[in-house]
Amino acid sequence: MKDLVINESSTRTARNYLINNIKLSDIKIPKIKEFKNIKVISESGKDVISEDVSKDKLTYGIDEAFTNEVLENANHKLKINVNSKTNKNIYIRYKFDENNQTLVDNIDIESEEGCRETINIVLESEGNREYYHNGIIRVNAKENTDIKVNIISLININSLNFISIENTLCDFAKVSYTYVEFGGRNSITNYYSNVIGKEAISNIDTVFLGKENQLFDANYLTDLRGVKSETNMIIEGALSDTSKNHFKGIIDFKKGCKKAKGNEQESCTLLSDKSKSIAMPVLLCSEEDVEGSHGNSAGKVGEKELFYIMSRGLTKKEAMRLLVKAKFNKILEKIHDDEYTCKINSLIDERLGE
Amino acid sequence: MEEKTYLEEVDRNIYDFKNKDDYDYKIKKGLTKEIVEEISRQKNDPDWMREIRLKALDIYNSLELPTWGPDLSVLDMDEIATYVRPKSKLNSSWEDVPEDIKDTFEKLGIPEAEKKSLAGVGAQYDSEVVYHSMKEDLIKQGVIYTDMETAVREYPDIVKEHFMKCVPVNDHKFVALHAAVWSGGSFVYVPKGVKLDFPLQSYFRLNSPESGQFEHTLIIVEEGASLHFIEGCSAPKYNKVNLHAGCVELYVKDNAYLRYSTIENWSKNMLNLNTKKAIIGKNAQVDWVSGSFGSKISMLYPMSILNGENAKTEYTGISFAGGGQNLDTGFKVIHNAPNTSSVINSKSISKNGGKCTYRSLVRIAENAKNSKSTVSCESLMLDDISVSDTIPVNDIRTDDVEFSHEATIGKLSDKAIFYLMSRGLTEEDAKAMIVRGFAYPISKELPIEYAVEMNNLINLELKGAIG
Repeated sequence: MKDLVINESSTRTARNYLINNIKLSDIKIPKIKEFKNIKVISESGKDVISEDVSKDKLTYGIDEAFTNEVLENANHKLKINVNSKTNKNIYIRYKFDENNQTLVDNIDIESEEGCRETINIVLESEGNREYYHNGIIRVNAKENTDIKVNIISLININSLNFISIENTLCDFAKVSYTYVEFGGRNSITNYYSNVIGKEAISNIDTVFLGKENQLFDANYLTDLRGVKSETNMIIEGALSDTSKNHFKGIIDFKKGCKKAKGNEQESCTLLSDKSKSIAMPVLLCSEEDVEGSHGNSAGKVGEKELFYIMSRGLTKKEAMRLLVKAKFNKILEKIHDDEYTCKINSLIDERLGE
Repeated sequence: MEEKTYLEEVDRNIYDFKNKDDYDYKIKKGLTKEIVEEISRQKNDPDWMREIRLKALDIYNSLELPTWGPDLSVLDMDEIATYVRPKSKLNSSWEDVPEDIKDTFEKLGIPEAEKKSLAGVGAQYDSEVVYHSMKEDLIKQGVIYTDMETAVREYPDIVKEHFMKCVPVNDHKFVALHAAVWSGGSFVYVPKGVKLDFPLQSYFRLNSPESGQFEHTLIIVEEGASLHFIEGCSAPKYNKVNLHAGCVELYVKDNAYLRYSTIENWSKNMLNLNTKKAIIGKNAQVDWVSGSFGSKISMLYPMSILNGENAKTEYTGISFAGGGQNLDTGFKVIHNAPNTSSVINSKSISKNGGKCTYRSLVRIAENAKNSKSTVSCESLMLDDISVSDTIPVNDIRTDDVEFSHEATIGKLSDKAIFYLMSRGLTEEDAKAMIVRGFAYPISKELPIEYAVEMNNLINLELKGAIG
């Protein structure tokens, strides 16, 4: 297979700084088999669910080889026409096991005017086998819609996880992602939000927790085109052992997006002296009357905070865990599902040593 | 209708006067082995320097143009003369400098500044340094401040040890070009423990059209010594492209201090593709102060390599891009030892269709335990036809660090204007105050005569509201 770099940032300077160095030849794409362990539940009962997904190419995506695999050979297609205004949940649960090892899924969400709903996509796995996930999530948010997408990736750290996301937002639409990215030896995410509508809001909040030699590679881009449109990218992570995080975030204020606001914050807690974080939080601006900001921080858990908590009788490990959880909590509390919040918390405990 | 406030662009009248293109020798345009050999012959290079030039030319030919950053397709090396020798030898008295060249520097205020506030001055006209002088007491203390050609001749061992070692010839295409055709520039050597109370200043003036300036600045500040070095650059405007590809190499040894201030005010036909790097020893510090106002395209990213424990660096920079300008600037720092620290503070103003890009790298290496880095960049856009981008890369390779980066882009705050007006200021005064306040953290770091220049730059023609 050719030595193709995937999930490249459109900012060319990234090529010089080892932040665009995920090569396709490093990754073995397995033969796609069937995947049956899927549960889809719509609480409202009003949504129209079919297999009639869009076959249009994505504007970006991780790489054509990956997105084409989904568009041509997906073993799970799910078209959801959101018709509910009651803010109920839709659950899509995938569980990897011996008989369900490769998942190539195409999820296409189309929200009708004024509808609001939360879509929960959960990836779990059994055992330590290497599983493969390659998926597309597409959201087309019409006027006045409010769509929340929670992606909870809890698959084991021997697996491969690729997700390409593309959103289109019309006037007054709001699309908010919460991404819990704990699984995958390589977890590669491409996120593109095209905020066309006026006063439309596109948000993504991500938490990642790295262990052993996990690599997270996130390439997020939001184009703000609508007047008074808004975007927020909040990324909170912690890395232990030799895990690594690449974050490439771009907010692009396009001409005409007057009074738009964009905010990008990436923070990474380094729990080991072998863990690494590379961040490229980019702001591109061709419009004057906007407010853009970004922040990026990295470092270990604060000594003072650790000391304070330990002086209250906790061990160092407990204190570290508490501080990491506190950082994650402002994002995790956006997931209103007790079962998964509980699972996520136990996984944090397990990863940071109970 | 809402009126706009216009921020004046730099008053270039004081820089745009042209002297007749009257030179002693001008090499033919283009870049070939013969041309490089001819430059070497004209400059009486020793063999080792000629070899560096020829090797650099091969490297130049083998490297690609950068694939990122501004479009450099306007540059045609076949249309650039890389060496222009003015009709003057190196002088140590202004009286001996030919009248037209002396007039040029007098208009730029260089001799006056020398009298008032400097410990030494160097002035380069096209490809050669025409004036160099330094205070007597510094000479007695062993300080060397001379042009690079004299340094190559008189201090070959020091130059050989340091020349193109901090900035390797293969760093990028324009460094290789520089090494092949370099001419002029300053050499400064500050011996151990010597602290200079007043700055040294070099001024670079490119008068000849369709030519390039490739001066080399090599500064060595020995252990415990201290220096403030100022460089200024300008050129009159011509219709065709001029090229500046200088190189600055700074060696700051243990416990030493160097402040390197630059005011770059090239004309708007200039491509400014300059490279600057500092290697900083234990407990030593390098502070960069940088103002980029001129040029058609700038690609300028000074770099500090913190190689010694407790080494520190600060970068304070401002760019002002007006119509037709694309200023791609920033800073790079490599933390390569424990307890190192860096503070980066960058501001940009773009107006009238100008483009400012802040591009930076902070790398904290595995061994740089207990290091700290703070980056702050702010961009102000004064109209809706300008562009302002921020492209930082933050590469953190160990846990025991404190790193933070923040950046903002925006226009003048309505709230701040309202607040100042409620305190009795007119709208115009309030806006002027905010813009001056925006630039103040940088202007206060500039040498006084340049701070005045910058205040002139932020000369507001106030009519109604911005935006």
